[in-house]
Amino acid sequence: MQKIIDEFSLNFIEDDRYRYILEGLGNTVLISFLAALVGIALGFLVAIIRSNHDKTGHMKAANAVCRVYLTVVRGTPTMVQLLIIYYVVFASVNVSKVFAAVAAFGLNSGAYVAEIVRSGIMSVDEGQFEAGRSLGLNYRKTMRYIVMPQAFKNVLPALGNEFIVLLKETSISGYIGLTDLTHGGDIIRGITFSAFMPLILVALIYLLMVTVLSYGVNRLERRLRANER
Amino acid sequence: MNGEVLLEVRGLEKSFGGHKVLRGIHTQIRRGEVVAIIGPSGCGKSTFLRSLNLLETPTGGSVLFEGKEITAPGVDVDEVRQKIGMVFQQFNLFANLTIRDNITLAPVKLGLMGKEEAGRRAMELLERVGLPEKADAYPAMLSGGQKQRIAIARSLAMNPDVMLFDEPTSALDPEMVGEVLGLMRELAKDGMTMVVVTHEMGFAREVASRVLFIDEGVICEENAPEEFFGNPKNQRLREFLSKVL
Ligand SMILES: Nc1ncnc2c1ncn2[C@@H]1O[C@H](COP(=O)(O)OP(=O)(O)OP(=O)(O)O)[C@@H](O)[C@H]1O
Ligand SMILES: [Mg+2]
Repeated sequence: MQKIIDEFSLNFIEDDRYRYILEGLGNTVLISFLAALVGIALGFLVAIIRSNHDKTGHMKAANAVCRVYLTVVRGTPTMVQLLIIYYVVFASVNVSKVFAAVAAFGLNSGAYVAEIVRSGIMSVDEGQFEAGRSLGLNYRKTMRYIVMPQAFKNVLPALGNEFIVLLKETSISGYIGLTDLTHGGDIIRGITFSAFMPLILVALIYLLMVTVLSYGVNRLERRLRANER
Repeated sequence: MNGEVLLEVRGLEKSFGGHKVLRGIHTQIRRGEVVAIIGPSGCGKSTFLRSLNLLETPTGGSVLFEGKEITAPGVDVDEVRQKIGMVFQQFNLFANLTIRDNITLAPVKLGLMGKEEAGRRAMELLERVGLPEKADAYPAMLSGGQKQRIAIARSLAMNPDVMLFDEPTSALDPEMVGEVLGLMRELAKDGMTMVVVTHEMGFAREVASRVLFIDEGVICEENAPEEFFGNPKNQRLREFLSKVL
């Protein structure tokens, strides 16, 4: 028992080492949250452009840009994207590491969100769209009031999953020298040469966050589904 | 027939890829008419009906609505569709909205009515189709017949000048066909102009003012129901009637 208390004190109490965890957790939450917002905005935009093109044949140029974006993001490792954003794209401008991470993870997540949302739009029965148009609603209003709400509901579990993946994926932020939760724990390990406690604590914190997120998504999903029975 | 011409179809053609479905349809639909369209499966009845409100874009010929060519470039199709209601075989009620919102969505979002006024109108329409207690239900909670009556109410909320029906009872269980046809009969009696693709020969005979037979992409015969069913002239129509009657 005394040994555990000593270990704990060595890893977290002495020199206020818990602060590495706190700082890391703060950064992880901040980066994940902002990157999710960027990902949602970008993903919906790309999905709307892509399905507009598929349905109407308009927006050819924008659609081509979107396809290049999707191919590049989904065809290269997230870590390489992060390194390129920080060391190449932002090499000559002085941006904070958090900003670079938000940009990299947001761009990355946007591609996955886009394909999820597009599949959601395609999953909505064509008859819903036609009924809207037949009443005189234009493309935009039909999408906004009829198709998108149903698409969103259909893909909510997949979106929730994507954000859980995103949260976990931010653990590579240490590669650009950013103290995220993982890196924070690892810094403690480097100082104390004791791996067990800091890494297990880090794992538990991720697990807790993922559990809370899943719970939230489940609840939201059930609330949205309530009206279908 | 001396009502004003609401819809005029001139040499309408429609191809899907190389497949020519409509090969030159000519007809007029006057205010107050109930026009039934019959024909073998796959002959292009739906394609014809959907060309009238431009859910299908014709590949030839023209459609005029209230004297204006709506197939001309630059026409605001959405504005035209506000005056042409459509009822689908599969109902297509908005699954994400309550029945009331299904009915009020278009009038409200198109700025034709305030939310309250549209809500009152929705209740009137629900009374008319006999489903006032379903205002707060969702489509998934209704039977097929109820869904189709709501779909008709939703169309009526736009005060259309003409209503298009594409086999409105074909997806219904037999015991629900009557309630929908009954409602359509009432609409006809109230003077609504209707174009109805149907397999219900009884309905065509009793309610229609004119029946069209489409086959191989053209109108083969067109007549008042007594003459159409009692004395069919076209050979293919005779064969068709002998199979379905
Ligand atoms: N979007 C489409 N793309 C390609 N072909 C189509 C399309 N819509 C209809 N067709 C074809 O056009 C022909 C006519 O179809 P349509 O649906 O108008 O027939 P219909 O008379 O309504 O038949 P039914 O009685 O089965 O409803 C069919 O051969 C069909 O396969
Ligand atoms: Mg059809």
